[in-house]
Amino acid sequence: MRATERAGRRRELLRGLAFAAPFLIGFAVFIAYPILASFRYSFTDFNLFQEPQSVGLDNYARMLSDERMWQSLGNTLYLTALGVPLTIVIALAGAHVLNMPVRGQPLFRALVYLPTIVPVVVGGYLWRWLLNAQYGFVNHGLNLLGIPGPLWLENPDWSRPAIVLMSLWTVGGTMVIYLAALKDVPADLYEAAAIDGAGTWRRFTHITWPALSPVTLFQVIVTLIGFLQIFAQPYLLTQTRLNTSSGGPEDTMLSYAMYLFQNAFVFLKMGYASAMAWVLFLITLVITAVLLLTSRRWVHYGSR
Amino acid sequence: MKIVKLGMPLLMVAAMAGCSGGGEPAGKTTITFSYLWSGTEAEALEKIISEFNAGQDKIVVKGVSSPDSQKQLASMSSASGTFDISDNFGNAVGSWAAKGILAPLDDLLKDVDTGAFAPAAMNQMRYRGKTYALPISVHTFQLLYNKKLLDEAGVKPPTTTEELAAAIGKLTKTDDKGAITQLGLGNPSLPNSLTTLGYAFGGTWDGTDPAAPAPTPADPGNLAALTFWQDTITKKYGADKVAAFTAGWGQYMSAQDPFYAGKVAMVIDGEWQAVSIPKNAPELEWGVTAIPVARPDLAGATQLTASTLFIPANSKHKQEAAVFLKHLVGEKAMRDFNLALGNLPARTAMADDPAFARIPNFTAWMEAMKSPKVRSLASAPYAAEYATDLGSAFDSVARGGATPQEAMAKVADRGKNYARD
Repeated sequence: MRATERAGRRRELLRGLAFAAPFLIGFAVFIAYPILASFRYSFTDFNLFQEPQSVGLDNYARMLSDERMWQSLGNTLYLTALGVPLTIVIALAGAHVLNMPVRGQPLFRALVYLPTIVPVVVGGYLWRWLLNAQYGFVNHGLNLLGIPGPLWLENPDWSRPAIVLMSLWTVGGTMVIYLAALKDVPADLYEAAAIDGAGTWRRFTHITWPALSPVTLFQVIVTLIGFLQIFAQPYLLTQTRLNTSSGGPEDTMLSYAMYLFQNAFVFLKMGYASAMAWVLFLITLVITAVLLLTSRRWVHYGSR
Repeated sequence: MKIVKLGMPLLMVAAMAGCSGGGEPAGKTTITFSYLWSGTEAEALEKIISEFNAGQDKIVVKGVSSPDSQKQLASMSSASGTFDISDNFGNAVGSWAAKGILAPLDDLLKDVDTGAFAPAAMNQMRYRGKTYALPISVHTFQLLYNKKLLDEAGVKPPTTTEELAAAIGKLTKTDDKGAITQLGLGNPSLPNSLTTLGYAFGGTWDGTDPAAPAPTPADPGNLAALTFWQDTITKKYGADKVAAFTAGWGQYMSAQDPFYAGKVAMVIDGEWQAVSIPKNAPELEWGVTAIPVARPDLAGATQLTASTLFIPANSKHKQEAAVFLKHLVGEKAMRDFNLALGNLPARTAMADDPAFARIPNFTAWMEAMKSPKVRSLASAPYAAEYATDLGSAFDSVARGGATPQEAMAKVADRGKNYARD
């Protein structure tokens, strides 16, 4: 009896594994192996063609004195610090607006989400022209408001805000998630608060914000990771002819991921690039961990 | 995620290892020629390929247009690649040869006289005494000018850097607010303009021994060239003003190109313009002259770059590929190809070929090819990193963010970590 039960269980396990095999094999070959391989390469001098030479911690040590690495890290943190709060605030405000019962509401929602489905390369070239200091629509609009537009892509002070601006174009994705979460906030809470005489702001701070806080935590982490890995937007905005790698004015648009890419595929320093990838992974891990630890203070689960 | 992104190409490389050419006609060897060219350039190349195939009965060449240079690298990183012959630029040769991915050509092409090719190009083809590639085309830089704008300002084409400075002054116009409306000297590619000017001031970017190149960014000639740029453009008109004007420039070599549109009076650029201008700006009255130099003994100083052909080390048909390579760099194929593309033939003897004289103004660039003062950037293993660092530093100098000395000292400092072999 017991033996047949055990055999049955084993068969079930094998069958389960067989069904999961397409994912498991894919995961092992395309995700787990490259991750482990890059970890090994990070301790080697590897140029993609010859056998990796072990160099111990040299790659990590060199990063410390690599001015360009620090600059790219600084740029990335700047983009993150500016981009994440703006994304959250705009998405949250936008979700409220989209939640208003007005005619054509589905159309507005679709319009806001639309940029998210435009391929990032297309968006990149579009923004190069929108941000053009002489002919761009952004500065044209600013001029109409009487504000002299900056040299977005040429001035080192404005190049990073330009990247954030371009990233915010696709804020619709975050907004739609907030919109769904807003719909989940129990209406009776608002009704009770209204009876107690709470105004709009108090209803927001005491009901909406706490009720949305788990979603906010998720959005902050996802957006944060997105900004820490930012590549396509600055790469497309700085691309010069013949695909020469460029970092924009005074290298202000050189993101960490771009410098990593340069090291890997332009300079063929795969070992150094792997080390950079692991450092970025650790940075992301630490920031996320800190965020999760603080979340106990401001994230409220089970509001109902 | 980042790690995954990095790891993926490595895996794709591994996955591509198995792919190779298919069935072969009886008694013939099929080789694959993968080239980065596309469009009309690829058409010209296909014509040469079919001529070669028809002209002998041992080798069949299959041409594949594959403009993705990452794919090209990936193919060469596995035991058996996807092509037997391919092309790239001269400055990549050293880096690739050092990594063992190029087949040395010295034994494969014993009967090809490398002395027949432009010496500055051949410097790029060699690494540690061996030849790893041959040039099919070369490119030189000269000073193009808008005849109408020069005539209006009463400026003669400059021959010295002093005259160039004066010409830039006369040809740059500003409105009453100081905004630039016309710039004397444009920069279709700042790195090309500044490295070329470095040579014109007697500088060198990789030392004086082509057999043992080393980065020399702070050479006095180079610093003089960068100072010249800052003094005559950046400081005179203001970095912001120049940037604002540059921001409105149209696409390079399109009808809106600033030189074609008369927004820029002079540019330092290559021979391909001789074919592009009649096509994209037929109304433009333009001329071309040698790069102005700082001292009379530097006359003829300019920069040369090369388009190369090579055989990857993982090719299974190196002998056959060599036969085809020899055909491609032979006089007839070289003439046909370069006439179609509007590039310079890499053989020095062809500099006087009358076939090229039909292209208006082309001879100016042909002359530069023959000049004993023509230089090329080293194709050393550090070339890609050096080019990137120089690019950043040039940007900083042109923007007035750093003095030439500061910017070049920084590059020299980074040079200590460059790959040596």
